[in-house]
Amino acid sequence: MDFIGAPLSVEELAAKLTRLGFNIEGIKKTGADFSGVVVGRILTIEKHPNADKLSLCGVDDGSAVTKVVCGAKNIAVGQKIPFAKVGAVLSGETLKKARIRGVESEGMICSAGELGLEGYDNSGILVLPESAPLGADAAALFSKPDCVLEVEITPNLAYCLSHYALARELCVFYGLPFKTPAVPELPAAGPAPVKIEAPELCRRYTGVVVENLAAAKTPEWMANRLRAMGSNPKNNILIDVSNFVMYELGQPTHCFDLAKLAGPEILVRPARAGETLKSLDNQELKLDAAMLVIADRDHPAALAGVIGGLDSAVSDSTRAVLIESASFNSSAVRLSSKKTGVRTESSYRFERGTDPELTVFAARRMAQLIIEASPGAKISMVTDAYPSKRPPRVIEVRPERINAILGAGIAEKDIFACLKAIQPELEDAKPWQFQVPGYRADIESVWDLAEEAARYIGYDVIPARSGMPVMLAAATPAFEITREFRNRLSGLGFSEVYNYDFIALKDFRNCLLNEEEAVELKNPLSADFQFMRTAMVAGLLKTLKYNLNRGRTSVSIFETGNVFRKTGKGYSEETMFAGLMYGTFPAEEFWRGGAVPADLYHLKGVLGRLFREYGGFRFEKAKTPPAYFHPDAVLEMKLGNSPAGFLGLLNPMAAMNSDLKDNQICYFELPLKAPAAAYKPEFCARLAAVKPVSAFPGAWRDLSVVIEDKFEWGEIEKEIARAPDLAAVKLIDVYKGKSIGENLKSITVRFVFSSMEKTLTDAEINAHISAILLKLSLNFGAKLRS
Amino acid sequence: MNQDDWKARLALIRDGSLSALGKTDAAGLAEFETHYLGRKGELTLLLRDLKDFPVEERKILGALGNALKTELSAALDVRKAETGAGAADLKKSRLDLTLAGYPFPQGSLHPLTVTANKMCDGFQKLGFSIADGPLIEEDYFNFEALNFAPDHPARDMQDTFYVDLKDAKGGDLLLRTHTSPVQIRAMKSQEPPLRVVSAGRVFRSEAVDASHSFVFHQLEGFYVDRNVTMADLKWTLEAFMKDLFGSQAKVSFSPSFFPFVEPGAQVAVSCVFCKGSGACPVCKGTGWLELLGAGVIHPNVIKGCGYDPEKWSGFAFGAGIERFAMLLYGIRDMRMLYENDLRILKQIQ
Repeated sequence: MDFIGAPLSVEELAAKLTRLGFNIEGIKKTGADFSGVVVGRILTIEKHPNADKLSLCGVDDGSAVTKVVCGAKNIAVGQKIPFAKVGAVLSGETLKKARIRGVESEGMICSAGELGLEGYDNSGILVLPESAPLGADAAALFSKPDCVLEVEITPNLAYCLSHYALARELCVFYGLPFKTPAVPELPAAGPAPVKIEAPELCRRYTGVVVENLAAAKTPEWMANRLRAMGSNPKNNILIDVSNFVMYELGQPTHCFDLAKLAGPEILVRPARAGETLKSLDNQELKLDAAMLVIADRDHPAALAGVIGGLDSAVSDSTRAVLIESASFNSSAVRLSSKKTGVRTESSYRFERGTDPELTVFAARRMAQLIIEASPGAKISMVTDAYPSKRPPRVIEVRPERINAILGAGIAEKDIFACLKAIQPELEDAKPWQFQVPGYRADIESVWDLAEEAARYIGYDVIPARSGMPVMLAAATPAFEITREFRNRLSGLGFSEVYNYDFIALKDFRNCLLNEEEAVELKNPLSADFQFMRTAMVAGLLKTLKYNLNRGRTSVSIFETGNVFRKTGKGYSEETMFAGLMYGTFPAEEFWRGGAVPADLYHLKGVLGRLFREYGGFRFEKAKTPPAYFHPDAVLEMKLGNSPAGFLGLLNPMAAMNSDLKDNQICYFELPLKAPAAAYKPEFCARLAAVKPVSAFPGAWRDLSVVIEDKFEWGEIEKEIARAPDLAAVKLIDVYKGKSIGENLKSITVRFVFSSMEKTLTDAEINAHISAILLKLSLNFGAKLRS
Repeated sequence: MNQDDWKARLALIRDGSLSALGKTDAAGLAEFETHYLGRKGELTLLLRDLKDFPVEERKILGALGNALKTELSAALDVRKAETGAGAADLKKSRLDLTLAGYPFPQGSLHPLTVTANKMCDGFQKLGFSIADGPLIEEDYFNFEALNFAPDHPARDMQDTFYVDLKDAKGGDLLLRTHTSPVQIRAMKSQEPPLRVVSAGRVFRSEAVDASHSFVFHQLEGFYVDRNVTMADLKWTLEAFMKDLFGSQAKVSFSPSFFPFVEPGAQVAVSCVFCKGSGACPVCKGTGWLELLGAGVIHPNVIKGCGYDPEKWSGFAFGAGIERFAMLLYGIRDMRMLYENDLRILKQIQ
């Protein structure tokens, strides 16, 4: 508010900022927002009679001595402390007399936190300086209550990363008077010996030397501002002023101790291979030729825009400083910061771009504040090297173009007013020649100006109005199939789950997956999420376990998602559909009973339903099933000639490795590629013509035969399915037992006969049955069961 | 007995039985049936007497007798229904109708699926076609073509996972941080006009908490044509919101930043839970729910895809599907969406 010449409440300020696209992340109260707290002195300390960790202090508040219970460890007799008397208001609450473990406490010795003060040590009570007058209002020792707005600044608004710039933005967009601080001009002085060797990486370098310094302290008002910013003041003006000016104006600066720089010249140059810099926070940084440094004759003294060096750092004994206020290339600073891993408030601002027109003003402000704090100091050298000054960018603006982008009908004069607010010298001669101010490097084109116009007038100026022609919406086969499969499986009792795409190395081992195929994350969050899944099985087993551990006994789940595999040439990414079935069918108990263990045939039925009406779908003997299947209980699915996944029992090893004792886990996993390829986008092409049914009554016969166990139903069915007049054949019972005999089974098959031409006679049907029986006995040695 | 006697007896049985039937209650019907139609019932016995008649007479009389038998059976059925005699059996067996029905297996779709489907449907109604793209993506599609310059700090807004695979230029492949690469892939492979929506998984290296997940889902939509404006965008999003939240839903734009749009907007919809009044826990009393990011497609993006931004223009929008799902299902903690607790999932309609 130092820069805005109009009164604004915090709420108004927040609302105005929000409307311009600044997100207010929080509003925090600062300063001494308490009353009834005086400067007291601890006269005596005794142990609390009933509590080991508490003390009983005698506190003199200037007029009386009171007994106070205190729990802090850092109390000592003679300390001056903030003493809250009964009736004091702390954080909005009134302090009352209290009995603590049976002892009356008439007041409280406060910590910084209890007083609501930020930027102070809060590990014990707050110890006040000896100079604080006994009995005086403690609030007077601290800054007045104020508010701090925490504003999120997106990269496009990086030109507002300071109080000055944010205030300027508000003044430009709301027509408020903007107050620039009064900062004296720099005096005429000899040049500082600065040489820019890499002008493409340093557009401007302003250097000012201030001499005659005497270990000056940071003024309290500046320290308070720094605390409000969440920064800890160091009580040395030369250190704190740099931070202060950066927060105030947005220009990062640096102070070198001139005596520690080896002359004769200061060079702004790329680092040399092998050079290092011991940074202010005492890290040894390895430098390379892509980094820009500020160097003296012998060594780098700072990594440009990122951090200064410890060897040239200012201290209480500094007598002369070189103030650096420069404009460094944002990419170069970002690269240096990334490579060294050093991120600072300075690099943050340089990366986002600073205004080269600001360096001199910031240097003046630095000098002013240092001289104010350190009487007798004076400026002895001034340099302003500006090797790459560029003319301002000019954008030709037609108001109708702005309105065409926004779809709005903003009056010409309003658009002009907006542009003129940003560039006050703009002349009203069309097309307008808008000159981008130095601080608005983000404005590149008329689209950017359309946004400025909308921000200026308010985004509500954009109407909800369509001039869009009608278009026909289409979808991809994968989208349609995924939706259909999901609906079918959920309709069949399966619940859809969502697992992460990341799995651990142990998941590969547990689920018998091939580690060689694993795509690895370079920066995983943890070892649990280190690899991309190559199959869905790990996630589904995890989900099964999770639910069994929570009391569920039957689990039918499915999931769709991508799997990723390294291949000889590169990698593959494939969408899968997978699921498992465990427990009983139906999952819930019925009062009349009837639930059976869910097995492979339940799942086979589910998959048959999933692929219903997909021509060419079939189950086959699995040739090379994934290892996580039981080798003797797995089937392959085919759609035409394309592989369409596997189903079977989970390999007992995989179940055991996952701590699942029961190995009756039925599992399937199929790639979506085959059904998607077979999918016909035209609705009419997906339909099959309806087959007519006979107008004459059909007849059925059941046939029970005993046959050797080794014959599979698939081969038997193939032999008998083609009998004349046979409409359907269905296996309705399989029985094995002592009464049948060793290695034998009894099967009951139902045959439905029907003719399109007539009602079949008993004799005709009996003839068909005899023929079938003959075939069964010849091919399979079947005998009619008596 | 001659023919006439027989006919007279038949008439008597007819009159007697039909009038008796009208007075018989449910309990007496079985007895009634035995009395007339049973093995030793009156009508049965009369029909048996026909064996003593000559063949010609037998035919005629038999037809009459059988007609009465049919009539009486039908009348008996009607009477049974009238008196509820059929249900009497059930009453005796005492059917407990409070017993549960058969537990036909009940599956469920994941809330994120239901939400994404609904959102895609909404945009399909407005002419948006469905597209998709890979999850392992090239820097070019995920960042560069979307106006994130290689050293641009905007990249810091999206913490990226990288994998140990290289693209054709030797750059590290990454997991897409947003669904926006689909825009570029669609524009590079098809000529405008294009109106496309895409929903899918995205990844950001962020710690998991109640409102963050390193795996989450986005829906992305865009439209490129001649003379597309921000007003078209606002209309589209308002139409979509009305479809989802009802005709009273309103959309509001405020400034925001995404590198691939200019101007950029944060999109809020009027709070459907409190209608903008009072202390609402969902919108926190603001009356607005921030649900999407949107804007006019940046000219650099259009140019990068090979089109002249002076001729072609477009809009784009994106939203977190989790945000919508949590709102629609009243889910407070995002982690719930990835825990796969069937006690939760089975509730999803």
